Amino acid sequence: MNQPMIDIRNVQKSFGGFQALNDVSLQIHEGELVALLGPSGSGKTSLLRILAGLEFPDSGRVMFDGGDTTHISARDRRVGFVFQHYALFRHMTVFDNVAFGLSVRRGSSKMSRAEISERVHHLLAMVQLAGLASRYPSQLSGGQRQRVALARALAIQPKVLLLDEPFGALDARVRKELRRWLRNLHDELKITGVFVTHDQEEALDVADRVVVMNHGRIEQAGTPTQIYDSPATPFVYQFLGNVNALVCRIRDGLAEIGSLTLPASAYSGVQDAAGTAFVRPHDLLLSRPGEGAGAMAEVRHVSILGPLVRIELLLDGQMVEAEISRQRHAELGLVAGQPILVWPRQARFFLRDSWQGTPFDNPDLPVDHDI
Amino acid sequence: MRSNPLRESTPVRLVLIALALAILTLFLFAPLLVVFGEALSRGWEAYFDALSEPDTQSSIWLTLLVAMLTVPIDLVVGICTAWCVAKFEFRGKSLLTTLVDLPFSVSPVIAGLIYVLVFGLRGWLGPTLQEHHIHVIFALPGIVLATLFVTFPFIARELIPLMEEQGTEDEEAAVVLGANGWQLFRRVTLPNVKWGLLYGVLLCNARAMGEFGAVSVVSGHIRGRTTTMPLQVEILYNEYNFVAAFAVASVLAMLALVTLAVKSFFEWRYAKELSAEGRA
Repeated sequence: MNQPMIDIRNVQKSFGGFQALNDVSLQIHEGELVALLGPSGSGKTSLLRILAGLEFPDSGRVMFDGGDTTHISARDRRVGFVFQHYALFRHMTVFDNVAFGLSVRRGSSKMSRAEISERVHHLLAMVQLAGLASRYPSQLSGGQRQRVALARALAIQPKVLLLDEPFGALDARVRKELRRWLRNLHDELKITGVFVTHDQEEALDVADRVVVMNHGRIEQAGTPTQIYDSPATPFVYQFLGNVNALVCRIRDGLAEIGSLTLPASAYSGVQDAAGTAFVRPHDLLLSRPGEGAGAMAEVRHVSILGPLVRIELLLDGQMVEAEISRQRHAELGLVAGQPILVWPRQARFFLRDSWQGTPFDNPDLPVDHDI
Repeated sequence: MRSNPLRESTPVRLVLIALALAILTLFLFAPLLVVFGEALSRGWEAYFDALSEPDTQSSIWLTLLVAMLTVPIDLVVGICTAWCVAKFEFRGKSLLTTLVDLPFSVSPVIAGLIYVLVFGLRGWLGPTLQEHHIHVIFALPGIVLATLFVTFPFIARELIPLMEEQGTEDEEAAVVLGANGWQLFRRVTLPNVKWGLLYGVLLCNARAMGEFGAVSVVSGHIRGRTTTMPLQVEILYNEYNFVAAFAVASVLAMLALVTLAVKSFFEWRYAKELSAEGRA
């Protein structure tokens, strides 16, 4: 796997005065399923459209299989593209929609009617729509339309499958179902896939590798575990999951969050600087006064969220969220107004005016209880 | 009766329906009946005699010929214009949109005069055309040009909003699937707008056959040669030949009715497809 399937090198793209992509480089290997994750305007869709050949970069190169495809038109790229709103041809039946990419072939690759029909029926069976071949798109549900769009994209046997917000327009239950189904399909077909999403859960759940984008740049690319457990930048921290961003001061290798002092050895050279400490709610350990270590905080609000309990705490003037198990909650017997000890098991510090972060794993406390 | 929050009380409904019917009768059905009534006031024989008069015959053929020449040109140019405006961004786009609307905002008489000024004997191109014995003004080409000017916006105007609303996603999907330009147009863009296109063509055709002002200026009213049906109606009416005037008018009215019938036929024939496309 030395040669990447897709190699994006230093791609720049702007629309008018808006810089959609700013020096983006990314390699995608054969068989990978990659999620481009980011808020709207982060450039993820522009990148996907450049891969499809629907947009062309202002500078930089796009290589497929080692060959330069930067200026090859969408028509000749042979990629499958699933549009956000499916873009099914409304005047064609499901069969004709799926057959479209095969029936427009000319010359040596022209297919006979029988061949087309066989391939289409095979695809419709695969997406579980075998009985609906003669329906029109308007007679289908959202999930069915999505699967027609997928079958249509797969009909041309693309080297790469690109999906733009594939589950965006569906309701939550169908979305979850289709997610699993897409994952299985990918594992079965071993096709290289790239999909765009703004939903972090979707990205972490489905993708082999997640590429987090913001302001036209790649913030971090890695496996879902890497992305979630060691975010490289404050943006990634805040975009993925709940996190407490606490004001702190960094002095000579120590970080002070109010009365809490934690080691931050990577910053031992820093005399005195403003910083932000990121702590996930489930990394906050709570214990009764006298029974553990940490800083004193006050319980402000307790809400029960199914298996978890969310506690809002006031820690030296800052609101902090902690999540503990129902069992731990029962042990502590927390009520609003009660004082409690707080200790972060994991935290990461970022200097206010720098992208560099340093992880900190608290060595002093056992990690057996909680969660 | 079950109460429906959107249903008005019976008296209100009756009044509204009566009002609509009264207006339609007064301004639409009654004039139409008058046209046929006057045309047939001296019986069928006089009616057919009036229609078989050679000058009238030639005006009917001329009108059909003008419509047959202008509608296809409008069709091609209208589709091209709408395609450009709706699917692409380019410099001068708003200027083009304004130009498309120009014939709507300019009086048809002015349109006719423009052509006289350009192609007439004393116009810019007049002497050159004269040298080559090409007759534009007071001849068929002038009538076709004037009609083209007046009817040009109908198809483009019908298609532009429709194409803009549909966006370019369908076309992008087709391109990614490997369609070339012609396949894209014939199999995706055109079917998506075919109903709008049909309405545009019908409107355009009705106007091409009925245009009076612009044609009147460029035709020269040469009887039997450059009078179209609307002009022929005027000539006959001014000669107090009411039966003949209304007879020609009735033919024009019938052509309009045929147009409506064609439209209704298509709607009935493709009702299922229309509803399937969610565009009834």
